[in-house]
Amino acid sequence: MLQYWTAILTEASIFAILALGIDMIWGWAGDFDLSAYAYFALGVYMTMVLTIGKAKSPVEYVLGWHLPYLLAIAVAVVVVIAFASIIGAIALRSLREVYFSITTFGAVWAIYYFVENYTPLFNGYNGVYGLFDPMGYGMSYAAYHYVFLAFCAVTLFGVYLLVQRLSRSPFGRMVRAVRDDEKAASVYGRNVFGTKYRTYLFGAALAGLAGGLFAAYIGAFSPLDWKPTEIFVLYAAILVGGRGNPKGVVLGSFIVYVGFVEMTRYIPSPAARPELGPALRQILIGVLIIVMLRFRPSGIIPERLGTDGTEGRRSWRYLFARSSAPPTSVLAWHEARPSMETVVPAEPRPEAGT
Amino acid sequence: MAGTTTPTETPLLKIWGKMSIFWISVGLGLSTAAILALSAVAFTLEYAVSRVVNLAHGEILTIGAYSAYVAETTFHLNLYLCAVVATITGAVAAMSLNFFLIERFRSQKSLSTLIATLGASLILQNLILIAFGGASVSYQFDQGTLLHVGPFLWTTITIKVMVSAVVVAILIYFLLQRTQLGKALRAVSQNRELAQVSGIPARRVVMQTWMVAGAVSGFAGFLYGETIGSITPSIGNGFLLLSITAAVGGGLGRPYATLGGAIVLGLVMAVAGTYTSSAYQLVIAFAFLAVMLLIKPSGIFVRGRRATVRA
Amino acid sequence: MSGAPLLEIDAITKTFGGVVAVKDCSMTIREGTVVGLIGPNGAGKSSVIDLVSGFERPDSGSVRFNSVEVIGKRPDVISRMGLIRTFQTPREWRDLSVIDNVRVGKSELRRESLWRSLASARRLRHLEEGENEEISALMTKYRLDEVRNHRAVGLSGGQKRLLEFARIAAAKPRLTILDEPMGGVNPVLGERIGQAIRDLRTAGSTVVVVEHNLPFIERTCDEVVVMDLGTVIAQGPFDQLRDNKRVVDAYLGNDDE
Repeated sequence: MLQYWTAILTEASIFAILALGIDMIWGWAGDFDLSAYAYFALGVYMTMVLTIGKAKSPVEYVLGWHLPYLLAIAVAVVVVIAFASIIGAIALRSLREVYFSITTFGAVWAIYYFVENYTPLFNGYNGVYGLFDPMGYGMSYAAYHYVFLAFCAVTLFGVYLLVQRLSRSPFGRMVRAVRDDEKAASVYGRNVFGTKYRTYLFGAALAGLAGGLFAAYIGAFSPLDWKPTEIFVLYAAILVGGRGNPKGVVLGSFIVYVGFVEMTRYIPSPAARPELGPALRQILIGVLIIVMLRFRPSGIIPERLGTDGTEGRRSWRYLFARSSAPPTSVLAWHEARPSMETVVPAEPRPEAGT
Repeated sequence: MAGTTTPTETPLLKIWGKMSIFWISVGLGLSTAAILALSAVAFTLEYAVSRVVNLAHGEILTIGAYSAYVAETTFHLNLYLCAVVATITGAVAAMSLNFFLIERFRSQKSLSTLIATLGASLILQNLILIAFGGASVSYQFDQGTLLHVGPFLWTTITIKVMVSAVVVAILIYFLLQRTQLGKALRAVSQNRELAQVSGIPARRVVMQTWMVAGAVSGFAGFLYGETIGSITPSIGNGFLLLSITAAVGGGLGRPYATLGGAIVLGLVMAVAGTYTSSAYQLVIAFAFLAVMLLIKPSGIFVRGRRATVRA
Repeated sequence: MSGAPLLEIDAITKTFGGVVAVKDCSMTIREGTVVGLIGPNGAGKSSVIDLVSGFERPDSGSVRFNSVEVIGKRPDVISRMGLIRTFQTPREWRDLSVIDNVRVGKSELRRESLWRSLASARRLRHLEEGENEEISALMTKYRLDEVRNHRAVGLSGGQKRLLEFARIAAAKPRLTILDEPMGGVNPVLGERIGQAIRDLRTAGSTVVVVEHNLPFIERTCDEVVVMDLGTVIAQGPFDQLRDNKRVVDAYLGNDDE
């Protein structure tokens, strides 16, 4: 039982890091990115081929170095950033919004099929394997898992602090300004492409980092493990937790991830229908996305409003609040508009013609 | 995400000279392009009236393909009746999608609707998976004989596919140019509120457009299943990316531009597929999309710098 | 009153799909003045603003801001040279708080560097806190105190106009171009906007106002530029233009103002 929870929490921590990265791109910058899972996968592959040594026939892959694990993750992240800089440049260059989503959607499938079919890169369909106990402590199987969970949890915490700091900084504020109105942002001297691009690369880097951790966790990685559609569970997590709020994103990742794993224990999976469990899971993710988007798009802990320091300390209350009327009424204040008329002296009605 | 190889391709490479291979590829490309054109035009029509990039579009094709499969295996209908069944089921599926999902998200941003259709795609695809299983199935229709037409090499069924696609395309043309619905559709696609105010029943026009788009998609799904010979729950999803690429490359929201985009993309993939494995088809499609977006983001067949239809 | 030329527009022309929007249009805006840009609907006023601020590129001609050619530069680059414009409808960053809207106006780009935000968060916070007084004064001045921590999207139309002025005041541009700041605004608020424009000048900004409300222009502006059919037909103090026959024909002939 203990091992079971160790495994779940390790995975959840890794996916929370990935979710934080995706949320920067979608929650902050407003770009609905579908290729982040490719960056995650590239992070896994790169970490693998940088640590597991030369390929032995018939297995084939690039590099095959013997770098120390942590260094390998760093190199993998750099490779992911370099790669994302190409996709990002294409997707963000001119028409954004739905065109951005379309481009990244195309990109992720193109990458997926390329990796699956071009064996010299990462051994194609069969994938790469052989990364275990990368820190090289020679521990027992069980002890290693605890240590690795601690490592992932600490990394998540560090990433969370970093992202939270960025979120509340002038940078985070600018990114959201660009998201809300590109034209107005450029009138005030903000480079729309540059801002979105930097955010995109940072998000991709986090995806690569999550991939680096996942490489050591899973030990073997093939196209079966990273269908591009897997990204939807992360969007479900972000929507549940609170888009644009790092705290909410971490919370949502744990809720959705643990919830789904726990739930699959109660789904019947007859041996004759192995596809039943995963299919039901996917259906639930779809339902979750639509329902959250329709009825509570801001999630459990909505995006923190303002860097002024006067907001954001009360977020936990929203857990128990109805979406239409949060207790402070600040976050949904446009819905509570009539009350504003009493706060601000009403102006006389405009007269016809001037 | 299955490719569109035909089993005849490889041996033919040995028999024919370089030039003939080229023409055979183009011939195969034409049949893919014909189906792609239908799917892409349906996709673009959906965008035109609802301003939604419908990522569940592929599932409508899948539904069409499977309904024809059921019609054939369970009710033993012939080729033509199966096509009718696919068409009707596609129309019903698309109308339901519009009614139960798209219209509910009308007040929200177009990006939210896109995400919602993504959720719908997941739900539909996996419902089909549960209903029919993951293994591929296929129709048992007679493939006909190999025929030389000019420099091309086609089977009778391929020719039927292409002819029917052209017929459907012509029907769509008449629908858009000559009917009341076509006029109303154009008005709604330019400005739904304005159309509503000027007395056009926008809601009904949107619904009818989805019906047409769904019918065309269902039919295209059947043709596609027939052409590649195996149907899986993800058959439509694979075709979705090609449809999107064709629509965006040609001009999103513009039926004729999309038609052009589909034909160009079909040919590009066919020619490029001669020199690489067909597994890279989607890679080529994406390269095409990326180049299009970099050179002319509004689409090749759209005059002017910018796409006029932006949400 | 008339300082050095700040904005020099020289013979710009722009056609949109065969329709000539701006034709051989030239004008000079001098530093420290408040200039009204008037003309009937479709005279090309808004197009000129788009061309000057980099949102559109003219077919020919040149625009120099502070003696530097701006044609071909991106809007954000032009803005960083000290030019801020508004649009006919107020544009706020909807999901930012009202005070953050103003802070973005105030904040410099250097401060928003990703690395500085990561590395020296505390110093940045101190820097921003150091501006609290100035920002608060602006909030009070533009009557946004009560809503400072509200989402900007919920403001009324008038409040959005005031927010725009607060944001500009925080940004301290050298040149402000206002595109119909009085659109949909009631007379009381109109007075406040007139005051806001005078304050902008006091703070050292040159102002160009596009407006249909002629009494407002007369009260607020030192000089008026009249456009018709995409070109400038007159420029000078308001009183002189009142007697100019071309202006009267163009303006009163086409418009009911």
